[in-house]
Amino acid sequence: MDNKEFERLLLTVQKPGRYSGGEINSVIKDKEKVDVRFAFCFPDTYEIGMSHLGMKILYSQFNERDDIWCERVFAPWTDFEEVMREHNIPLFALESRDAIKDFDFIGFTLQYEMCYTNVLNMLDLAGVPLKSRERDESHPLVVAGGPCVCNPEPLADFIDIFFLGEGEEVDLEVIDLYKKHKKNGFKRAEFLKEAAKIEGVYVPSLYEVEYMEDGKIKAVTPKGDAPKTIKKRIIADMDNCFYPDKFVVPFIQIVHDRAVQEVFRGCIRGCRFCQAGFIYRPVREKSMEVVNRQAKCLCESTGYDEISLSSLSTSDYRELEPLLNNMLTWTQENHISLALPSLRIDNFSEELLEKIAHVRKSGLTFAPEAGTQRLRDVINKNVTEEEIMSTCKTAFLGGYTSVKLYFMMGLPTETDEDLKGIADLGQKIVDMYYAMPNRPKGKSVSVSMSVAVFVPKPFTPFQFEPQITKTEMERKQAYLKSCITTRKIDLSMHDSSTSFLEAVFAKGDRRLGDVLEKAFKKGCKFDSWTECFDLQKWNEAFIECGIDPDFYSLRTRDYTEINPWDHLDYAVSKEFLIRENKLAHKDTTTPNCREKCSACGANCYGKGVCFERR
Amino acid sequence: MKFVSHLDMNRFMTRLINKAKIPIWFTEGFNQHAYLNFAVPLSLGFEGEYEILDLRIIDPDYSNSQLIADLNAASVSGIEFIKACEPVFKMKEIAFAEFLISFDNITAEIEEKIKNFFKRETIITQKKTKKGGIKDIDIAPLIKKAELQDNKLDLILTAGNENNLNPTLVLGALFDLEKIELYYEVKRTMIYNKETQSFI
Repeated sequence: MDNKEFERLLLTVQKPGRYSGGEINSVIKDKEKVDVRFAFCFPDTYEIGMSHLGMKILYSQFNERDDIWCERVFAPWTDFEEVMREHNIPLFALESRDAIKDFDFIGFTLQYEMCYTNVLNMLDLAGVPLKSRERDESHPLVVAGGPCVCNPEPLADFIDIFFLGEGEEVDLEVIDLYKKHKKNGFKRAEFLKEAAKIEGVYVPSLYEVEYMEDGKIKAVTPKGDAPKTIKKRIIADMDNCFYPDKFVVPFIQIVHDRAVQEVFRGCIRGCRFCQAGFIYRPVREKSMEVVNRQAKCLCESTGYDEISLSSLSTSDYRELEPLLNNMLTWTQENHISLALPSLRIDNFSEELLEKIAHVRKSGLTFAPEAGTQRLRDVINKNVTEEEIMSTCKTAFLGGYTSVKLYFMMGLPTETDEDLKGIADLGQKIVDMYYAMPNRPKGKSVSVSMSVAVFVPKPFTPFQFEPQITKTEMERKQAYLKSCITTRKIDLSMHDSSTSFLEAVFAKGDRRLGDVLEKAFKKGCKFDSWTECFDLQKWNEAFIECGIDPDFYSLRTRDYTEINPWDHLDYAVSKEFLIRENKLAHKDTTTPNCREKCSACGANCYGKGVCFERR
Repeated sequence: MKFVSHLDMNRFMTRLINKAKIPIWFTEGFNQHAYLNFAVPLSLGFEGEYEILDLRIIDPDYSNSQLIADLNAASVSGIEFIKACEPVFKMKEIAFAEFLISFDNITAEIEEKIKNFFKRETIITQKKTKKGGIKDIDIAPLIKKAELQDNKLDLILTAGNENNLNPTLVLGALFDLEKIELYYEVKRTMIYNKETQSFI
């Protein structure tokens, strides 16, 4: 299709800038002069994918090499998909507009379970057979990384290679191996067998899964000399690992439209519901000098006037205060504002507030997660009511009149008293505001409370726990609503059908591949978008495949049961997760990594918080 | 670049100016930002051949040629900076804009229809008002020039804060009243004051 025709079609859809490419810092190479073409696919819209830091890192890192050309691909929105299908436009990469079916690699990043149908849809749009076993030497290798790879089993039929853990090193090792094979006559099966020997590489087709009569897993057996367990890869030395000196700067507004500077990976806290807090262990910080230098460089190369310091819990960065002081010396001068997402309630200080007050004031958001101290102890969210109150007070004194609080519903051991605790906490914050003699004059207070449904996830101490049923959730929601008596509290509880599906796929096994394919064929896509999500179709797909979704999400799993992800090693041992689960049921907290080591297993890499001097 | 909306273009320019380290004046209000002002917004889907942008340089030693060189070095393919100079006219003096409309091959019959259309004394069409309603307006007096040659239509239309006429409206009226349907591309070529002196 010529450019003119393409541009005409673009003008018929919403936000054509999603598909036109040509942004500042996007990388154009001569395709004749590269050995490997890599289509980096984010299975959601441009605005979401372009906000993702991991993609920016790997895009830059791959393109540093002269022999690789990495291009970006996003899921076309439904309007453009229709145009593409009508005019037989195969899925293309933004930089070259070439069809990705002719690339060497199609790589997906799997950030959330609800994007799985988009993965299938993108393969279909590309004209690549969906199933791994249906592809031959003429097709690209389909690979995937990201947090969902810690239980990739529902996608096992569709993906050739999963990368476990952080991709910077392992991805390039696989690309190098591929180059070698390509030179000597590439044979798919041979290559996959060789690739499986690289640490962090999981080739699902090399593993046989057997089931028992009750549907649980009997055994997962490697074929040939594939390793019995596959261990995730991490970057041990954050100061000397690759970090991009430039980002592609979009024309259209994206979700996080700013420079993003990573300060550390992992989290010391160990909140028992939080998958990220376990699968990214151990905590590894970048030094203050490196963060400062990289951040400045990014602002200069992109022209962004906002930069955020990114991590799972930025206020846990040990050198945060001096870092901010250093950064403020150049950010203020250049009219750049600093954003600090992921602040914790228990170490949010007045000084910190002052520093971010230099930037435009947006809302303040905190996550107590549960309404009572008992339940916060169960989930190991080591935050006290006192800390929540004093943080809100600091914020109000700093001129803020609204705070937003995040909670979860359906946590293990939760009772109605815990739910009432959410309402009570909101009321206490409102009361405190009005009791303050020096509160912002003439302004009303607003406390937004957002309550999500808990989804148990693999590699957390709650992986053994069931999710609550829909009926129970509806009862709980109605009860919580009845507990709130003031209009100063704005309670939002989302429709949680997607949370139920999320739990099924998070803890699911290979048999869900058929359901996924069926749902995709019925037209399911963009399941995380309420305007696209169609529960009816999903229910039909489960029934037609003879699979009961409740088997995966509503069942308490015995400690001895073989989970679909047990042959993957994310450095936190199952024994540790069991210990933590038992402590949760005794309402007992676990100290964070800096206070005391709890022997999770992540010290095996010989780096990070496990070896910090205390 | 025609897929970049006016708002996105503003954001793009702010970042480009930061990236190129142009010593530009910042507004001094509560929400400080780089001051820049496009003469007339360019609709999504249009190309622009000679767009005009106002900005203030605070460094007296920073030359216009340096400004153009720095901006071009930082820019992307599709956005090129041509010339910098002291303002010739004020933005509020903008009175006309010229557009080049390119059609696919058109037949003699359609050519005739287009020519007849622009000979009309009055051209009544419907326009959305800012309040969301629809009103009938006569756009004939707002068309200063309309010449068709080699499948290309050269239009000079009133522009500016009052009586701004978008070529989409003109072509919509043309297709409506002459019962034709053509694919077209729009390129804005120049902006003029009320004496049709160009804004260069």
